[in-house]
Amino acid sequence: MTAVSPDVGASETRPKPSGKKVQNLTGGWPVAFWFLLPSMVGFLVFFLLPTIRGFYLSFTDWNLIGNNGKFIGLENYEKLAGDDQFYASMWRTLKYVVINIGSQTVIAVLIASMMDRLTRSSVIRGALLLPWLMPNVVVALLWLWMLDGSIGVVTEFLKFIGFSDDLAFFTDTGKVIPTIAAINTWKYMGYTALLMFAGLQTIPGTVYEAAAMDGATEFQMFRKITLPLMRPVLALVLVITMIGSFQVFDTVLVATGGFGGQPGGPVNASKVIYLYIYQNAFNFNDLGYAAALSVILVLILIIVTFFQLKLLRAGESDLA
Amino acid sequence: MSTTSGNMAGTAGSGTIGARVGRLTAWVILALIIFISLFPFYWALRTGLTFNRALLTGDQSILPPDLTWLNFKRVLGLASDAEMVQATGFENSASFDYLLALRNSMIIATVITIGQVFFSAMAAYAFSRLRFKGRDQLFFLYLTGLMVPPIFALIPNLILMKNLGWLNSFQGVIAPFFLMTPFAVFFLRQFFLGINRSLEEAAIIDGAGHFTVFRRVILPIAAPQMVTLAVLTYVTAWNEFLWPLVVAPQEENVQPLTVALNAFTTQVPGTQPDWSGLMAGTLLAALPVLVIFIAFGRRLVDSIQFSGIK
Amino acid sequence: MEEISNMLREIKKLRLLAVLAAMALAAAACGSDGDDAAASLDEPVTIDYWLWDGNQQPFYETCAADFTANVQPNVTVNIEQFGWGDYWTGLTAAFASDSAPDVFTDHLARYPEFVESGVLVSLNDFVERDGVDVNQYFPGLAELWTSPDGDRFGLPKDFDTIAMVLNTDMLADAGISVDDFNNATWNPQDGGTWGELIQRLTIDANGVRGNEDGFDSSNVAVYGFGLEGNFGAFGQTTFSAFAASNGYQATDEPWADSANFGDEALIETIQWFADWIAAGYITPIEDVESLGGTTIFQNGGAATQTNGSWMISTLSGDATEVPVEYGALPVGPIGERRSMFNGLADSITTSAENPEAAWEWVKYMASPACQEVVGGGAVVFPAIPSAADIAEAAHASNGVDVSAFKVHVDEGTTFLFPITDSASRIEDAMGPVMQQILRNEGTAADLIPPAAEEINSILGS
Repeated sequence: MTAVSPDVGASETRPKPSGKKVQNLTGGWPVAFWFLLPSMVGFLVFFLLPTIRGFYLSFTDWNLIGNNGKFIGLENYEKLAGDDQFYASMWRTLKYVVINIGSQTVIAVLIASMMDRLTRSSVIRGALLLPWLMPNVVVALLWLWMLDGSIGVVTEFLKFIGFSDDLAFFTDTGKVIPTIAAINTWKYMGYTALLMFAGLQTIPGTVYEAAAMDGATEFQMFRKITLPLMRPVLALVLVITMIGSFQVFDTVLVATGGFGGQPGGPVNASKVIYLYIYQNAFNFNDLGYAAALSVILVLILIIVTFFQLKLLRAGESDLA
Repeated sequence: MSTTSGNMAGTAGSGTIGARVGRLTAWVILALIIFISLFPFYWALRTGLTFNRALLTGDQSILPPDLTWLNFKRVLGLASDAEMVQATGFENSASFDYLLALRNSMIIATVITIGQVFFSAMAAYAFSRLRFKGRDQLFFLYLTGLMVPPIFALIPNLILMKNLGWLNSFQGVIAPFFLMTPFAVFFLRQFFLGINRSLEEAAIIDGAGHFTVFRRVILPIAAPQMVTLAVLTYVTAWNEFLWPLVVAPQEENVQPLTVALNAFTTQVPGTQPDWSGLMAGTLLAALPVLVIFIAFGRRLVDSIQFSGIK
Repeated sequence: MEEISNMLREIKKLRLLAVLAAMALAAAACGSDGDDAAASLDEPVTIDYWLWDGNQQPFYETCAADFTANVQPNVTVNIEQFGWGDYWTGLTAAFASDSAPDVFTDHLARYPEFVESGVLVSLNDFVERDGVDVNQYFPGLAELWTSPDGDRFGLPKDFDTIAMVLNTDMLADAGISVDDFNNATWNPQDGGTWGELIQRLTIDANGVRGNEDGFDSSNVAVYGFGLEGNFGAFGQTTFSAFAASNGYQATDEPWADSANFGDEALIETIQWFADWIAAGYITPIEDVESLGGTTIFQNGGAATQTNGSWMISTLSGDATEVPVEYGALPVGPIGERRSMFNGLADSITTSAENPEAAWEWVKYMASPACQEVVGGGAVVFPAIPSAADIAEAAHASNGVDVSAFKVHVDEGTTFLFPITDSASRIEDAMGPVMQQILRNEGTAADLIPPAAEEINSILGS
């Protein structure tokens, strides 16, 4: 954990060129305590304690409904190690994350830089953020409706422009994960772009002016100026969206379990890890095992985040 | 505090034909993306303005094939029995108190937003501006809060609310989001990091305390990001569903629009999803957020453009 | 100095939060504290009652009003309705935090898990004390709610059976009568005379019927038979009637510790459905999963389907443009027809602060007074025969003949919903397998036996 700290919060600890004495500028615990108190209470009560409790539960056979259970040591983890469903659901989640984050990030960077370079219209920015205003459940239902295999408007359109008849997006085992990933890309691309755009605003226009003067093309400016300077915000966005992406759940539940289907279907093709955790807790009452699965998921996310921050040298921008 | 980058749009690269083609292509792509973003909303509106029976014929006309305001009326509880039969085929009294649910949603989202943004900003200040032992470790601990599946915290938090006697109350719905979320702290810290230190250094050298610096220097400078976060928080709080459902299952005076709307859509009998009612309800539920968004959107845009004090 | 006063002002506000934190810690430390129930009806008390069926809510509201007015003036009933999915999530969360409603509508697929978790109140003492006649219900219904230890966890409120749902316009076009279906036989080899009816009702895009030359199975406009939904493990509204008429029984007895999913009678039934889907006579499972089987039927995509009695008011409702009649299920190789017999009941939870008041409400709902109100609503069949007759009469006055559903009870051709203590795990093991078979991505003979073994190991443990 200490290894990450220089990367997480480095920029402001760098020695100032001016060499100004900053001893009393940085407070220390007596000051920090009061600034942190409210959030620490919130964190402790609503995040840390439940997590510790969950960690403890993962060593028990806790029954959710009965609210009781006993310590069973590593049994849940042993079961998990040999659980094919766990590996399969993790693999599906990974596929989802790659498709979702990949497409979402690329499109969002594109939108953000276009918003930055083409137009300042607040109407356009607002329009792009609209999908994000809708609750997940509604988004899932809306697309379920538009992608319906026989009367969905998008399906009809695709047929019209010459795609084959086989457009069963939610009921084809090979298509369901890419479809759900695309839906969430639709929902979050504007939001992600807005976060990136906010980051772009920290790049002074003079940099572009100078580059344009030197005859740089838009693409060159994007690659040489925009991308490197966006790094801190890109780190923020990637960390947030990827963690969210690993926890994809309600879209899957609604889109695949909606009417005739089985949540996680067809044939388990969309049973992602979070759904598997949910099922163990809420359908099988096995909170202990659900907790063990959650612990593994949290560990995976910590590792992923750690490397993301390291890779992106989060605290730094080349501008600083 | 001058707007340094706002006037770039028209000037860069306008010299060459290649650049012009590039800009045109970019505009086309942007237009396409906007269309893809907005079309589903139009389709939701069209669906909300159509009778259910007309939807299932597969009519794809761009205008509502069987135009009616009835779906909006029945969501608002204004439809007569005869009209209910016309719309759903059932003499069904399913409706919900839209204004009550709207009030609840506003209370919940407003209180959560004020608390969360302010307290998270305090924390972000500490993490970006103060130096104390274990700061980065504590921050990373906060970050891990992002990774805890919400489902994991659901049950312990519910037990806590029950023990506090806060079930079916506003306190219960609001509490878990009031003091912080890891996202809010993370978000503001990343932006605070980018704020130039010279102003606050000057203030502190002039004898101001940290709270004054926080209030008088950081908060005003970071106003655009705070507004952005406030909008994000508000919308997230507005759309929260599972938590209010489990913590306030029996109190209509507390239930937000999402829960009330969901109850409404499941009350309608029949096997086919009530697409029309659902879409009408969704649009009505999203409307207040939309209004707030448009109201603040201007501010968001104006303020976000100044790129810190360089 | 301004800073310090600011701080102090802030600290005052924060003290509240510190208190909150302390309370939270204390709360986390102590578990649930049992409320000693003051079992008295002398003081006003409110009972929270949950149900999921919005169609029935108005009638239970009436029951609740009658109950307070005529039976227990001090007991008020507060009814909450949730959609099916939210209902179980909410209920589970409520149990987990010991804040469950006093009384709730219970389902046979779920209640064994509640019993095993110890959150339901046994009604034995109440039933005995008040002399409730458990034989007043249709035979078998009350027993469904009794655990192997002899504890009763619910009093029956209604029952449901399965019947054929027929689009009479399409039948007329094919020259088929409802009686043809009533007299039809089915078998998993060639589909029997029932299969022939289904083939005749199937029409491809060119108007060629399924029993005629040149039928294009890849381009079907109307399927002869529509699946109501996904099969799941028990196929209540889909395959259960067929498999049972082929001699299949999911479990030998309620609460059994093994099941018969490996039975050849089931395997050949499921394979028959998959074959007939491939042949174009039955709706493809993909369509059913995306649209819902009943939606397909109501929009003329299928000429017939099997469905449960709780759907009558929807299928025969004013809104449907499809003219519907109900026919008997086909007679299978065992020489009889078979319908699954399922029922709901009301259970009292251990969270109930006043079990006495909760019991009074349960007792009232299970009595003729309330069941006749519900029966008059013509939504479900009440568990008490006299009230069920009222429901049948109410349907008849709407012009709907529901005898095809009731005949099973009258003739004793029902089989009980298979009660096990692991219904959700069984669904999880078998559901995907069924989806795979119906997609013809594997055969029943290959895919069912391994899943059957898995289920037996779940039940055995």
